[in-house]
Amino acid sequence: MPSGFPPDRRWGLRVVQAAVLVAFLVSWEAGSRLRWLDPFFFSRPSSVAERVARWFATGEVYGHISVTALETLLAFLAGSFLGVVVGFAFAMSPALSRVFDPYVKVANAMPRIVLAPIFTLWFGLGVLSKVAFGVTLVFFVVFFNTYQGVREVDRNVLNNARMLGASDRDLVRHVLLPSALVWILSSLHTSVGLALVGAVVGEYLGSARGLGYLIQQAEALFDTTGVFAGLVVLAGFVLAVDLLVSFVERRLLRWKPPSHVEEVL
Amino acid sequence: MKLASPPGTCAVRLRACRRSFRTPDGGVYVALDAVDLEVRAGEFVALVGPTGCGKSTLLNLVAGLLAPDAGQVEVFGSPLEGINRRAAYLFQQDVLLPWKTAEENVMLGLVFRRLPREEARRQARAWLERVGLRGFENRYPHQLSGGMRKRVALAQNLIVNPEILLMDEPFAALDVQTRQLMENDLLRIWQEERKTVLFVTHDLEEAIALSDRVVVLSAGPAARPVGEFPVDLPRPRDVTEVRLDPAFGELFRRIWELLRGEVLRAFRISA
Repeated sequence: MPSGFPPDRRWGLRVVQAAVLVAFLVSWEAGSRLRWLDPFFFSRPSSVAERVARWFATGEVYGHISVTALETLLAFLAGSFLGVVVGFAFAMSPALSRVFDPYVKVANAMPRIVLAPIFTLWFGLGVLSKVAFGVTLVFFVVFFNTYQGVREVDRNVLNNARMLGASDRDLVRHVLLPSALVWILSSLHTSVGLALVGAVVGEYLGSARGLGYLIQQAEALFDTTGVFAGLVVLAGFVLAVDLLVSFVERRLLRWKPPSHVEEVL
Repeated sequence: MKLASPPGTCAVRLRACRRSFRTPDGGVYVALDAVDLEVRAGEFVALVGPTGCGKSTLLNLVAGLLAPDAGQVEVFGSPLEGINRRAAYLFQQDVLLPWKTAEENVMLGLVFRRLPREEARRQARAWLERVGLRGFENRYPHQLSGGMRKRVALAQNLIVNPEILLMDEPFAALDVQTRQLMENDLLRIWQEERKTVLFVTHDLEEAIALSDRVVVLSAGPAARPVGEFPVDLPRPRDVTEVRLDPAFGELFRRIWELLRGEVLRAFRISA
């Protein structure tokens, strides 16, 4: 593995990484107990752990996790689909891309968060408004990567496929789409991350369920422990999603030379 | 092996072909002009010329990837429109699809012809074996050496059983030993299949060692054939041994006399 650490020394790395976390938690806990940190504003790790444990014990957190997961998944799928379709259309039709170029640039430059209230008005407080918000974030990443991927296909590779008898549909299926897929996959971490950001921020701004809602509720009650507990659950969720993405990526990019696949520690 | 087409017929004929390109500064560059060329069915013709003389352009005209501005390309007697369906094209560059295995790359042409997958796979395996790559079916291109990738590309082209094989400096990027092995393999396969071959190279020794006829192209702009030399060295040949034949040296001198002038002219134009 190109991690820079031989296998026997990777354990050493893990120990150091764990030590950093333990040191952080211990000094937080001590600071809070010795009143260097006001527990009302900073809570303490033991209270946070207790709260997280209670959430899982009573099962009340599962509903929130599953709503956020659903929103993330839908935003990712819808955003990617639209991004691929529009990216392809733009790459294949120079006229189309020339006409829409300024609008795409403006739409991409705009801070998407201002759209959240509008989406709440249009789609209500439920899942749909969060998905719409996530789509606006995911779409552009996938769109630009698809566009780039299709445009960057080597002329000779295309001509070779043509000489071998490829129809236009064959070219799309066997050459252009896989080539774009490489680019899309290379941004998979980013686009899934943005889908999650869309879901959580959307929930935070107005909803009745989800991890963003959980954190927002605690905050409204000045419940610092609840906010941190929400963050811990969210961090665990993000980590799980990221591991899943890495796994998918490694499966789909098996054909790549190893130096090109970024190894996630 | 059956012959690809009856001998003696004309596989490729270019009549007064002209092709120009727009230059970035808005001008027009005439790459080829007044090109007449005939390649008989089953013949191995090598095309040599100084760099930038339009050899690849000529090949692209025959492939149908480019259309001539003036003149006509005929394939087995009928004018060519669009892609030349009776030809395969071995490119100088690496054109294998990196996300497909060697076997899947070789299958490609059959997949495009809607052959059943299993049949395509069976033929691809057989072809990989013929080019000496048995056991490498499931390797991806990046796991193969440059020479192996060329072999895969050769199998990829031959599996569609083309009547004409166009080759654009296919072995230029290989080291000398690998290159001679590939050249011998090409000759062996050609001997069995008797395809019509149009082989572009800037290496005169390679041209003589492989071909039945060497055509010299003048320096650009407006390049055209300026000399033809039949190569009557005995076949089957070994590209390393044939170079030791006195007739080889004599032929080399005669062609080089003409080619040298064109190379110098090209050098003066570009310098």
